[in-house]
Amino acid sequence: MPASSSPRPVAYLDHGATSWPKPEQVVHAVTRALTELGGNPGRGAYAMALAASRAIFESRRTCAELLGVPDSRDLIFQPSCTAGCNLMLKGTLKPGDRVVVGSMEHNAVARPLEHLARTGVEVVVVQGDRTGLVDPDDVEREVRAAPTRAVVCQHASNLTGTIQLIGDLADIAHEHGALMLVDGAQGAGHVDVDIRVLGIDAYATSGHKGMLGPQGVGLLYLSPDLDVQTQVQGGTGGGGSESPDMPIERPDRYEAGTANTPGILGLGAGAAFLITEGARQHRREAELARQLIEGISTIPGFRVLGPPAGAPRVPIVSAVHDRVDADRIAFALDRTYGIAARAGLHCAPWAHRTIGTVDCGAIRLGIGWGNTGEHIDLALRALRDIVSS
Amino acid sequence: MSGRPLRSFAVLGFATTHTALAAEQLLKDLGVPVTPIPAPTSIGGALCGIALRLDPGDVERAETLLERAELPVAARGEIEDV
Ligand SMILES: Cc1ncc(COP(=O)(O)O)c(C=O)c1O
Repeated sequence: MPASSSPRPVAYLDHGATSWPKPEQVVHAVTRALTELGGNPGRGAYAMALAASRAIFESRRTCAELLGVPDSRDLIFQPSCTAGCNLMLKGTLKPGDRVVVGSMEHNAVARPLEHLARTGVEVVVVQGDRTGLVDPDDVEREVRAAPTRAVVCQHASNLTGTIQLIGDLADIAHEHGALMLVDGAQGAGHVDVDIRVLGIDAYATSGHKGMLGPQGVGLLYLSPDLDVQTQVQGGTGGGGSESPDMPIERPDRYEAGTANTPGILGLGAGAAFLITEGARQHRREAELARQLIEGISTIPGFRVLGPPAGAPRVPIVSAVHDRVDADRIAFALDRTYGIAARAGLHCAPWAHRTIGTVDCGAIRLGIGWGNTGEHIDLALRALRDIVSS
Repeated sequence: MSGRPLRSFAVLGFATTHTALAAEQLLKDLGVPVTPIPAPTSIGGALCGIALRLDPGDVERAETLLERAELPVAARGEIEDV
């Protein structure tokens, strides 16, 4: 039973939304930022400001190492993946451009594109299949049909856990002179990301999901040759202040305003943790996801969405029940069993439309760091109880 | 005030704090002593807030190393200090 005095769940299974708990190193890094590194980074050269600048510098390098970014200057800190997606899309697409996008996108991509469509960008949506996979052949057909500025696709779905074939999509995009822009919110931290191998032009991700950092921070990789228009202008510190324009040098060009030092340091600690623990963590997540999928599949009335058990996916498992609504399941999981999970449309109506669940929503269980086989057993027992009562 | 005589130092300025810190780390690692200081307004240009102070005799070597590492120096100057 959940302790009534604390909102802490007995089993936290909402890693698709944000990871919790955080490794101790992350908590320590955030605390250190607040207690010892309180100066404004990049805004002064006294010892404490310099120490904050150095800590951000190191954090950027650690994140670059984890993601295979050759020059950490190309890795921009953002307030969220959403902000990164907005910069990546609005900074590269202009009226008259054509963009080909998969139909599984989260609103972090869908809404900026709907906005851009109203300004004269042509947005062509390629349908994913019932497992959520966007077929590269379908994308190629669309890219071939007319001059295309960019192919846009998520790395993995926050609804079905489907891992998209972004390396193949990048090859297709580049063969036809288009950019490859990726929303990696559900990718980084849950699957290996090597920017050098993927060969993509931009990759936005959250700091607080699989990357294990705190909320309020995200990352955007921009390839060195990509010219992206700034969306936010403002102070970057230092002696260039008299210039009316943003500096051309990265990362400052895209980092106006005081940095989120606690968030960035926490994110760096999360990345450092993943550099050493990532491979083991990915194996554990895959095993727990398999256990959960197989278990849910044996409960009468449930249908698991996304790729079949055993097929590659990030550790997100969503399901629908033929009689009990997803929101009722989520409410009962929380109130009766102390299990945190999320129902509804998960900010991804495009994805729900693609797989046919837009009218009913789904119950989503997101697995991540800190989860154990016991959490999965608890969830399975609870799900069985809820739908049989 | 101490009566120590003023010394001349060379100063290198950078466009971003990131480049300044990368330059500091690289030069220290390769045995060129540098000290981060607030970028003096006298060296002007579009600079970040941190500059590196170094011995004038080390400037040539430092510049070669920085160029090789693609860490561009945005401004150069001199200051007098104790
Ligand atoms: C696929 C996907 N893209 C983007 C986002 C947005 O991330 P953030 O809330 O960190 O901006 C999410 C978060 O749920 C997501 O799942």
